[in-house]
Amino acid sequence: MHIPDGYLGPQTYLPAWGVMAPVWSWASARLKRTLRARHLPMTALAAAFTFVVMMFNVPLPGGTSGHAVGSVLVAVLLGPWAAVVAVSLALAVQALVFGDGGVTALAANCLTMAVLMPFSGWWTYRLLAGASAAASRRRRAAAAVGGYVGVNVAALAAAVLLGIQPLIARDAYGRPLYCPFGLSVAVPAMAAAHLLVVGFVEAAVTALALAWLTRTETALPDVRQQPSGGRPLRRLGIAVTVLALASPLGMVLAARFGGGTAWGEWSAAELSRLAGYLPAGFQRLASIWRAPLPGYGPGSAEAASSAGRAVWYAVSAVAGATLVGGTVLALRRIVTRRERRGRSA
Amino acid sequence: MAGLPEWLRPGARPTGRPLGAAVGDRVVRRALGAIGRALALLVVETEPSRGGPLRDADPRAKMLAAVGLIVVATLLREPASLAACLALPLATAVAAHVPARRLVPVAIVAIASAAFMLPATLNVVSGGHPVLTLWRPAPGNLGPWRLPAAVAVTGSGIVVAGRMVLRATACAALAVLLTTATPPQELFAGLRSFGVPQAFVMVLSMTERYLAVLLQSARELHLARLARSVAAIGVRREEAWAAAGVGAVFRRTRVLADDVALAMASRGFCGEVRLLRPARWRVGDWIVVAASAAAGAALLALDRGLA
Amino acid sequence: MSGAREAVFTVEDVRFAYPGGEPCLDGLSFDVLRGERLALVGANGSGKSTLLHILDALFVPSGGRVAYLGTALSEEALASPAFGPRFRQEVGFLFQNSDAQLFCPTVEEELAFGPLQAGWAQGEVLRRIEDTLALLEISRLRSRAPAGLSAGEKKRVALASLLVLSPSVLLLDEPTAGLDPRSQSLLLEILEALHARGLTLVTATHDLTLLPHLADRVVVLSEEHRVVADGEPQRVLADTELLLAVNLIHAHSHRHGRLVHTHPHQHVVAHDHGHDHHHEHGE
Repeated sequence: MHIPDGYLGPQTYLPAWGVMAPVWSWASARLKRTLRARHLPMTALAAAFTFVVMMFNVPLPGGTSGHAVGSVLVAVLLGPWAAVVAVSLALAVQALVFGDGGVTALAANCLTMAVLMPFSGWWTYRLLAGASAAASRRRRAAAAVGGYVGVNVAALAAAVLLGIQPLIARDAYGRPLYCPFGLSVAVPAMAAAHLLVVGFVEAAVTALALAWLTRTETALPDVRQQPSGGRPLRRLGIAVTVLALASPLGMVLAARFGGGTAWGEWSAAELSRLAGYLPAGFQRLASIWRAPLPGYGPGSAEAASSAGRAVWYAVSAVAGATLVGGTVLALRRIVTRRERRGRSA
Repeated sequence: MAGLPEWLRPGARPTGRPLGAAVGDRVVRRALGAIGRALALLVVETEPSRGGPLRDADPRAKMLAAVGLIVVATLLREPASLAACLALPLATAVAAHVPARRLVPVAIVAIASAAFMLPATLNVVSGGHPVLTLWRPAPGNLGPWRLPAAVAVTGSGIVVAGRMVLRATACAALAVLLTTATPPQELFAGLRSFGVPQAFVMVLSMTERYLAVLLQSARELHLARLARSVAAIGVRREEAWAAAGVGAVFRRTRVLADDVALAMASRGFCGEVRLLRPARWRVGDWIVVAASAAAGAALLALDRGLA
Repeated sequence: MSGAREAVFTVEDVRFAYPGGEPCLDGLSFDVLRGERLALVGANGSGKSTLLHILDALFVPSGGRVAYLGTALSEEALASPAFGPRFRQEVGFLFQNSDAQLFCPTVEEELAFGPLQAGWAQGEVLRRIEDTLALLEISRLRSRAPAGLSAGEKKRVALASLLVLSPSVLLLDEPTAGLDPRSQSLLLEILEALHARGLTLVTATHDLTLLPHLADRVVVLSEEHRVVADGEPQRVLADTELLLAVNLIHAHSHRHGRLVHTHPHQHVVAHDHGHDHHHEHGE
């Protein structure tokens, strides 16, 4: 599903470069940190390996053959961040050395096959593999599903990138300038091909190669030992705080563009205005619960200035996140304490 | 030495098992062809030919020129200007005596795009005035879709499809011209003009360096497979073989990566990449860049003028 | 007696086992003296290559100690700016796998790698590259990529990349394996000339025919990963029982009529005199 040059317009491929640049520098910084002195040759060889996997003709029923992308396999073997770099390099070599695959579209292809695919496939793999042994059937099955999911996610992303072209770039007569097939054509076509055929090829290559390697090689990177890169809880906390503080944006933007209440989320007053009457059951239930912060702010704040309301919005976000987070952490502590007690019993 | 087993004599085969060509053979041969072509590009067994303004120009200039024109191609709208944009690299290739077989990938892109874009010529995709009616189905539905009154090729459709084919082919021609005019290692050095950090360029060149080694391994695996194929073994086993092949290449990759790291350490690698000759631009390089910029501007002017 | 020659390497009770658990070296002790030519011989798997890696501070031994000119080889020592770069410049390691050793895009850049990493001036580097290319008779390969070179050419380039640094010690891992005769003889000639200038040489090989050219002293490693002999080549080579025991030569049997004749024999790949087997038997 490599997108060639000429199918995407600059409105699409330039932002793709913009998105990929920080991703590439983050990924290579990470690799340098974990591999240190070995990171240069290791990265280069991982990329060469990825390229070879892309070239491997996998026989299919009916005497035909297909190709796998291999991003998920590389992610399982070397970690997802290594896969980002390795697949990107392989795609770059393909474009620059062999003239195969787009030059302007390189970043977009990296976005689908070097970022979305390895991460979605790897997370699926980790979720399903759990803490199973390296050579177990469960691991292999998890790898297969990971490969299948990964390649379909990539295909969907590529289909979206292609499908939005007629929407965003038209000439003076309204004809599409780039890929002429819209979402309604591109998405089903790519999805069908990848869900029904390509996905299985990818799944097979990923699972079987992993099986072969775990049978013959003892020192495979253990899934549990992947470097976590900093305390995850701390990062989560930062991310949530940032999002919470940014939440008033949603309110401001909605007001700006004249959007009313989200569909289906009307209050009693709004509903009776819209429909002309208020259903009896609604009336009964509407007063069951009095929220502490109705409308994300105390009642008096309804009439306050928009700045005041924005502040209350953010406060509600922080309060809500703290409540949810605190509950989850407390539950976790209770569960692990119970587990520990159960084990020592 | 222990004595030879009874069955180990020339021609002694168990009866009842006819020999037959393996179905997978075709796949393996095709793969070998692909690997061979890739290796031909990567492994240069003779001194790289010097001469000709195209080859001698600094790779950074060539890269700027080619990528610049590819970007221009993605901005052009009129089929006429796109055709001119396609003619430019083709003419340059002919003038520089680029062998025809290097341009085969361009032809492949043209054919593939044409095939893909055929549905776009139809009114159901592109709309517009019908030029050639192909089919008038009876009114009704086909599954969830309502059958149109007529399926026809339209003027708009031809323009849309033609534009896509011309543009894709022009971009491919420019890319292929760049790769024929510049050996891979020089190309990677050329990337620095785009602000790509030196470490990245070094990894890229190392990737290309060892790609040949891994491809040679892969080729040996395929050849061994061919040499040992006496009968069809079924798709499952074929897949298992492919997976074992991938696994074997990965082992080679790991070992090689470790060995290269040791070799670099042994020669005193201090962690930083250092260059022997920082490249310097010459007059010829500026001319290449200026010429391509002028060509690009001319194409854009033509394009907007025609619109 | 050569007087008190200093020990370039001191190996004390070195043990090594791979992370999988397989023991590779089992308590080796010996010295390498300045200017001497030492050959480490042993069958495949006896640990010679691993020992060279340990001498070049690429592997850390599981037990024991290795010192270069008195300084113990450790991560800290290699990381120190006073010792590390000097060690890397003075000790060169010719790998068995030339593909791993040639990792730069062109031959010229390969030769330049070491000196540039050592921080030498461009003029000096270019001069040395020129001279080394001429010495190894590979000047025409200057701009070539390593992928298209033959095994002999690769080995020459690899050696050239080490010689550019004017090393004091060369560690060679099976230097002549798979080489064409011309490359092999050039290699040996150059090593001979360098030795005359004081180069210390440690060669790991299982090819006994190299010993007259490359060794003043032979250390034999058994398949149990221990030193079983250490002395002059003639004496060690004469001990056929020992050589048989460590699988460096094999016992060759053939028939003469009704008699079976057995003698120790090592197959010679290339032989000056034109005939391989020279039997002496009275019958």
